Amino acid sequence: MRLRRRARALQPWLFVAPFLLAFAGLFLGPAGYAFWLSFTRYRGFGVARWVGLDNYRFVLGYDAFWEMLGNTLFYWVAHAVPMMALALLLAVLVQRQAIGWTRSFKTLVFLPQMLASVATALLFQNIFGTHYGLVDRVLGFDTPWLTDPALSRWTVVFVLIWRGTGYWFIVFLAGLTTIPPEVDEAAAIDGATGWQRLVRITLPLLRPTMLFAVLVDAIVTLRLFNEPNVLLGKAGTLAPASAAPLLNLVVEQMHSGQFGAAAATGWLLFVLIAALTFAMFRVMRERAAA
Amino acid sequence: MTRDRRAWPRVALNATAGLAALVFCYPLVQMLLNAFKSNDEIVSNPGGLPRVWTLASFADLADPHRWLLRNLANAVLVAAGSTAFAVVLCAAAAFAFAKLRFRGSGLVFALLLATMMVPPEVVYPGQFILFSRLGLIDTLAVQVLPTITPVLGLFLMRQYMLSIPDELIDAARIDGAGLFTMFWRVIVPVSSPVLGAYAILHFLSTWNAYLWPTMVATRDAVKPIMVALPQLVDPTIGFLPIYGTIMAGCVAATIPLLLVFLRYRDKFMASVTVGAVK
Repeated sequence: MRLRRRARALQPWLFVAPFLLAFAGLFLGPAGYAFWLSFTRYRGFGVARWVGLDNYRFVLGYDAFWEMLGNTLFYWVAHAVPMMALALLLAVLVQRQAIGWTRSFKTLVFLPQMLASVATALLFQNIFGTHYGLVDRVLGFDTPWLTDPALSRWTVVFVLIWRGTGYWFIVFLAGLTTIPPEVDEAAAIDGATGWQRLVRITLPLLRPTMLFAVLVDAIVTLRLFNEPNVLLGKAGTLAPASAAPLLNLVVEQMHSGQFGAAAATGWLLFVLIAALTFAMFRVMRERAAA
Repeated sequence: MTRDRRAWPRVALNATAGLAALVFCYPLVQMLLNAFKSNDEIVSNPGGLPRVWTLASFADLADPHRWLLRNLANAVLVAAGSTAFAVVLCAAAAFAFAKLRFRGSGLVFALLLATMMVPPEVVYPGQFILFSRLGLIDTLAVQVLPTITPVLGLFLMRQYMLSIPDELIDAARIDGAGLFTMFWRVIVPVSSPVLGAYAILHFLSTWNAYLWPTMVATRDAVKPIMVALPQLVDPTIGFLPIYGTIMAGCVAATIPLLLVFLRYRDKFMASVTVGAVK
């Protein structure tokens, strides 16, 4: 009887064990190993030598780290502001039924999400090609959209906005439908104009969703890799340093067998993401309370 | 009557929105058109209708020397395999975390959630060395394995299962069902919306995978299509991308997804943003 009860108490673990074991072996173990690696010098073979905080000191003192971090922050700010504004505008237009063909409109705006980011980047590589690309053909220019160091970063931003808008548009639309229509109607009856209702009612009520969106997008952008590298790298190579996102450093260090330094760079990225995640949880709590 | 007064701005807005949507979607149209042009024509006529419609790029895609069909099959196998494993592992664990009481469940779940802060890329150096020790570099398995335990999937499924009334489970228990029967006959069917939604989300994210596969799939035979396409260059000139074949590859990799999306678009849009909205 007692044995049977004990067997029954173990049953839940049968459901959790496959996940936990796989998780421990495939993620947790390697994560711990990567953490340990970040304090060693290791070339992928031979003996790992303990070097304390040397890797962190090296990465933090490395110009390329700051340049790539700067690029990543540029990509974030430059694409997040116009993209979120555009997504919000479209969501409000659809919510207010200003656009008659809602369902098709939603589908069209969301469509780029169905294209893989690599395919998107290749497509725009073709469109923004100097002289021979569609844009230069139509404009009649020879603009080096993909090769000019300053300009190419804006091309990446354009692609990020093109592909990302539909996603946040749908998120904002879902956020808007949670706002009770009575509030808006009451304001309309009281004679508030469309603009007043937007600024005084819709946007304040949507604020937590917007904050949440900006933070999630920031976390995703810190991990940016595909778009700049496929768009600006030649034949599957990495983008030039002037446009390289932070993850390129991890990849370069792994390619050159500096596994300790690669791990240290990764954990520095983790610190940034953890800070943003804490901010996000606070926003979510605020949203749950509202 | 308000309608009449407002008709003109409304028409103008709709026309503008329609035009904007067309410009917005033109890159997709161009992808399709350029797949039917020769590589030479793409250079002279990048954006218009093909002057000469040709299937040469699709033939090139199917050329056995290029491995591209294999790359496409690899991508399908990896994404489908990863999705199947992830959904099964997450669903079983989510059931236990949501509906069964056992010692330590709260703590274990909280710790799992905390690991969501660690982005996968941080673990790549550790995983790369682990998998190379196991001799798994340049296999399909190494592309599948790191993605089969997504805590996000576990979290979303548990949240959904928490809302399943306990009466349903008690009824099954009274009928003498064991936990496995209960899981399979009650929980899985009732949770099918969230299982399906997460499956879509997971499939798309593994289909999009690029960084990890570029590091661990270097042989043509194991590359997924997304790794192979950016590397396609003109064999004689060397660095020039062959956009015809590349666009044909993009079309082949996108059209099936696009058709499924258009058929179930509302479900898709709800699923893909489920992680962000809830």
